[in-house]
Amino acid sequence: MAADVHKKSGDVLNGSLFPDDGQHAERSESPTPGLAQGTEPGAGQEGAMFVHAQSYEDLTSTDNPDATLQMPGDGEDVQADQTMIEEISKDFSELSTQLTGIALDLEEEIRQSKEDKLELSPQASRRDSVLSGKEEEDVAMDAWRMHQKHVFVLSEAGKPVYSRYGSEEALSSTMGVMMALVSFVEAQENAIRSIHADGYKVVFVRRSPLVLVAVAQTRQSEQEIAQELLYIYYQILSLLTWTQLNRIFQQKQNYDLRRLLAGSERITDNLLDLMARDPSFLMGAARCLPMASGVREIVSTCLQQAKAKSLVFAILLSNNQLVSLVRKKDQFLHPIDLHLLFNLISSSSSFREGEAWTPICLPKFNSSSFFSAHISYLEQDTDLCLLLISTDREDFFTVSDCKRRFQERLKKRGVYHALLEALHTPFYSVSKVGIPYLRHFIYKSKSSGLFTSPEIEAPYITEEEKERLLGLYQYLHSRAHNSSRPLTNIYYTGSHENLLAWVTNAFELYMCFSPLGTKAAAVNAAHKLMRWIRKEEDWLFILTPQTY
Amino acid sequence: MSGQRVDAKVVMLGKEYVGKTSLVERYVHNRFLVGPYQNTIGAAFVAKVMPVGGRTVTLGIWDTAGSERYEAMSRIYYRGAKAAIVCYDLTDSSSFQRAKFWVNELQNFEENCRIYLCGTKSDLLDDDRRKRGIDFHDVQDYADDIKAELFETSSKTGQNVDELFKKVAEDYVQFTSFQEMTEEKGVDLSQKNTPTYFYSCCHH
Repeated sequence: MAADVHKKSGDVLNGSLFPDDGQHAERSESPTPGLAQGTEPGAGQEGAMFVHAQSYEDLTSTDNPDATLQMPGDGEDVQADQTMIEEISKDFSELSTQLTGIALDLEEEIRQSKEDKLELSPQASRRDSVLSGKEEEDVAMDAWRMHQKHVFVLSEAGKPVYSRYGSEEALSSTMGVMMALVSFVEAQENAIRSIHADGYKVVFVRRSPLVLVAVAQTRQSEQEIAQELLYIYYQILSLLTWTQLNRIFQQKQNYDLRRLLAGSERITDNLLDLMARDPSFLMGAARCLPMASGVREIVSTCLQQAKAKSLVFAILLSNNQLVSLVRKKDQFLHPIDLHLLFNLISSSSSFREGEAWTPICLPKFNSSSFFSAHISYLEQDTDLCLLLISTDREDFFTVSDCKRRFQERLKKRGVYHALLEALHTPFYSVSKVGIPYLRHFIYKSKSSGLFTSPEIEAPYITEEEKERLLGLYQYLHSRAHNSSRPLTNIYYTGSHENLLAWVTNAFELYMCFSPLGTKAAAVNAAHKLMRWIRKEEDWLFILTPQTY
Repeated sequence: MSGQRVDAKVVMLGKEYVGKTSLVERYVHNRFLVGPYQNTIGAAFVAKVMPVGGRTVTLGIWDTAGSERYEAMSRIYYRGAKAAIVCYDLTDSSSFQRAKFWVNELQNFEENCRIYLCGTKSDLLDDDRRKRGIDFHDVQDYADDIKAELFETSSKTGQNVDELFKKVAEDYVQFTSFQEMTEEKGVDLSQKNTPTYFYSCCHH
């Protein structure tokens, strides 16, 4: 079977992939000969672990990225829609000028209200900031305005639910204006998707009973920002369930949701930070911890054998990298749900003490009810975290016993030390691939929902540089996945680096080269890299996922 | 740690940020972590073995999250608990109101659970007496009313923490030995042909 797979991939590599003409981002006219899904390097041999073919388009399919304003209905009369939209955009530009006016007035008002609040209850405000774990910023300061990306969540009554920077109270009037914008457009049977002005993108995502708004200065597309907002929405669902969220607002429209979300701000903050530097979210895939396949197989078997009736998923991870995942037969985890779990674990050090047992909703799996998650580190001073997801909230001791049995088996089979060894080298150097000028890459196998990526090395040393690199990938990704004009091959020449993107229905590959390389060399490098990934796939990926 | 036999289930209850986790941390690991506040998610379980009068007792401690979000499902954490340590912040009167809420819950649903009221952060009072949010005698009266033990602890200095858990363990031993005696009588009764409704109840 392996030989067969190699042959197929060879066919593709010989195909004509890149047109010779053109300089910047451009589109291949020839249809890309794709690998059949499931045969690309990194594809699992026994099927996927995740919900199948989860692509970026599925995430944002409800949003039309091209229309700033879009009719919610089918829009039978295109002509009429067009005029309507023009009219509304006109209204909008007026509104946005009004908005700047309002913003200035608000400053005064906010400062006033903040002072009032301080006078009234200095104790309470201090406690709030301690609870949310962030230092409250003065929303009237320039520094507040300078942030790259603001995220606001509000209820349909215009009540603040979350703000990434600054206290929600101080922003309540601003959020009121946001809700007014949404309602204004809706009153004309329309929906506001985004405002583009002065280097800012203001993106709205409406998921009743919540409204999510981002104000971004990043290079991301509207689609990508909307996707991040959806992640925030799912994050809130994971704490409350969709059912509970809706019930609350049905009972009381102007409910202050912050009461129920108290203490979760840190999780949401962490999610936003993570999305800015971890390509997992962009790729809609999970990153595997590289590990000798023999070791991984034994670890997975140990995990599979420590089962209990109520267990649905068992996940072993280390620093947001997947080590092993066992699932109940016929049950698939969605990458978004996995990312939310990873984020939950990385956002809190409280799991390092004892064993946590917490209700959690996996919104893409089932948004109406809670699972019970058993979260614990294998040992206090390692980063190996075990996550056991059970359907029975009364089953703590049974699930806890699964952990004990897993640890016992690991030690008995003598792989525990090999496992710890693998943790020491969570990333490999790109020099291992042996391609000159290649600085970094991301390769995603679509059928397994897994991706691999080397360590980010010089010249991307500072956090800003790393985020800039991810920003470039984001740009390529958005060009490749633009729903009105998707691209399969992109070669991008920049002043600091050259980038190449290659997207087929089986895999996605993004490569970053030094600016001195040529396009022909980059195309060759892509082929060489694909061969290298094929050769190393059992070390880079989980090829034989286990089930209960 | 997991999978071991637990003698007594002990549950920590109280408003968020009163210091339930710090109290457990001090008792189990004898340390006080300084750093940004980390709220508990769901609940954390930890077991600790304690010597009490010639035998050992394993306390299975459930450190619950104070957030209102988890209130609806808090029953799974305190169901069957032998002891509840209901915490309030000595400097925050609202946290004492919240403690009363938990006491009511326990009285309604877990009448066999012994209640220990615990005022936390007593070290803050050492600096400034006026920081005390609730009058000590009021709390003492309340504790007497509900037949609860009252402790004032500091997880930072360790003051009174071991004493609190020692009392919990001792009471457990005393209470169960008493219960065993009464239960034996019960068993005698049920030896007869017709089981009492208590026992038929247990089979359902």
